[in-house]
Amino acid sequence: MDVKFNNRDPVYIQVIRHFKEKIATGGYEPGQEIPSRRELANNLKINPNTAQRAYKEMEEEGLIFTEGNLPSRITNDPEVIRNVRKELILEAVHSFVASVQSINVPLEEALHLVKENYQRNKNEQEESL
Amino acid sequence: MMRYLKLTNFELSRFFKIYLVLIGVTFVMQLLGVVFTSNKYLSAIKELLESGMTQEEALKQWGPFSFYNVTSSFWFFAPVALCAASLIIYVLFIWYRDWFGKNTFAYRLLMLPTARINVYFAKATAIFLMVLGLISLQIAFLPIESHLLQSIVPAPYLEEQGINQMISSFDSLRILYPTTFIEYLTHYGVGLMAVLVVFTGVLFERCFRWKGILLGVLFAGISLIVFFLPVIIQEFVLVQFFYPTELFFLMVLTGLIVMTGSILMSNYLLNKKIRV
Amino acid sequence: MIEVKDVTKKFGRKPVLKGVSFTANKGEITCLIGINGVGKTTILNAIMNLTPLNSGEILIDGERINKHSYEKIAFIPDAITMLPNMKISDAMRFMADYYQCWNQKRADEMIGFFKLNPNDRISTLSKGNTAKVNMLLGLAMDVNYILMDEPFSGIDIFSREQIADVFTSHLVEDRGVIITTHEINDIEHLIDKAVLLNEGVVLKEFNAEEIRESEGKSVIDVMREVYLK
Repeated sequence: MDVKFNNRDPVYIQVIRHFKEKIATGGYEPGQEIPSRRELANNLKINPNTAQRAYKEMEEEGLIFTEGNLPSRITNDPEVIRNVRKELILEAVHSFVASVQSINVPLEEALHLVKENYQRNKNEQEESL
Repeated sequence: MMRYLKLTNFELSRFFKIYLVLIGVTFVMQLLGVVFTSNKYLSAIKELLESGMTQEEALKQWGPFSFYNVTSSFWFFAPVALCAASLIIYVLFIWYRDWFGKNTFAYRLLMLPTARINVYFAKATAIFLMVLGLISLQIAFLPIESHLLQSIVPAPYLEEQGINQMISSFDSLRILYPTTFIEYLTHYGVGLMAVLVVFTGVLFERCFRWKGILLGVLFAGISLIVFFLPVIIQEFVLVQFFYPTELFFLMVLTGLIVMTGSILMSNYLLNKKIRV
Repeated sequence: MIEVKDVTKKFGRKPVLKGVSFTANKGEITCLIGINGVGKTTILNAIMNLTPLNSGEILIDGERINKHSYEKIAFIPDAITMLPNMKISDAMRFMADYYQCWNQKRADEMIGFFKLNPNDRISTLSKGNTAKVNMLLGLAMDVNYILMDEPFSGIDIFSREQIADVFTSHLVEDRGVIITTHEINDIEHLIDKAVLLNEGVVLKEFNAEEIRESEGKSVIDVMREVYLK
């Protein structure tokens, strides 16, 4: 687990985002066991209180759940997972739109370039596999 | 109490190597002293005999050889002086090594979960025990040295001495080996008092550095005056007022006051003023 | 909680601390930040009663420091304080001899974690390993609070990484830690609270995660604002 944190966003939010990405891409399966708070702090080299905070927030958002004294697990709720995916996509689109608009690119041109670029990237990835 | 004993043991073990060297040097030098002084004597006698003198005449000229000839020689006295000087220096060094060593051990000692005065007591006890140790070893060495002497110098030339005579024949030893219990208490009591006062002086310096040296000297001066107050009164105020025994007990009292003062002052300095 | 209340301290005529106040909570890592010579070490020494104060007071869980406090609070100075001729095992035995709070199991665990040889003499250790032994002697005490003076200065990068790992491990968990540093880069994500010092005063005391959340600033951003103002 290697995450590069930036210094200006709260670390707990960056941790949550890291979890969301892994949930959305299937890096974490529904119901999968996740590291304890201490293990997470140790793995990510962050303050244990921050790891605690991230888990607390994720629990409240329903991303993870804990039963009794068992280790916490990723949610089994497909609705939540769909929402996470949607949230990440919307976020990406949002920032894309913002940067494209800031340099006055017409939508058609931008979409054309996106398609082209997306395809090329995918091909390259497949070749390298 | 446990920690005080552990600390005392620790302080003893820190000086142990040098202590062994001192003991070794003393023993070897004194044995050499026996060999050299007796050989010198015998060769002088031999010279006289060769020049035609009889044994009686030679004995008359040089006198019989006794252990006094050994104890009054450089070989005997030098290691005793060395031991004394080492321990006197160590009274200061036992503190300064904790601040000025390669690693500042003072941190460790001051952060022990025990009253800091125990560090002071442990160091004083260690010095005291090392002095006693050296003195008892010296007593143990004397018969061995005397045996060696007897095996070198033939009986007619030898004046036999018991340990008491050996000791009293050596002026510098007399202070260390009192003959009565009271004398014993006073000599070592005064010694211990001196150590405690010097320790307090060192602590003054450690607390206030340059200013502390002045305060330390001042403290030692006041201690000295307090201790000798009965004598001063006897000499200058109430001339010849006290009987000798009264004077003695008054000085025991002032001595105890000085020791208590040193301990209380050191306790205060260690708890409130010390710095690393 | 460790409470430093309006502490002043002069060395001769030179004031080093001019009314310093801050608190450090149990279960949190509090970082005293400032360039060298602003009195960070003096504050730690004062907390441990290793230097007298001119005024102010320091409370540890509501109490002034006393001989029993040394079983509850450990200080790791910037240099090791054991005698050079001691072996690591001798140093550990010394600690076990005097402290009830010494935890030999934890010490052995750290010997393994730091890859140290207990039979090595302290005088023969590299700088990095000396720093690790120094850490070990403090961290193996079952205390509520640990003070560390510049644990990262003057050692190689790999030793720094290993020592930084300590902060995210169970070795520090649930304890209150005060750490001093003049370089925040390595540990920005590790600390809870930052106390910015300059010329004997506290310029700012803040929670690192809160300032990121409320103002979107990194610890270094805040330092830049405060120190270059």
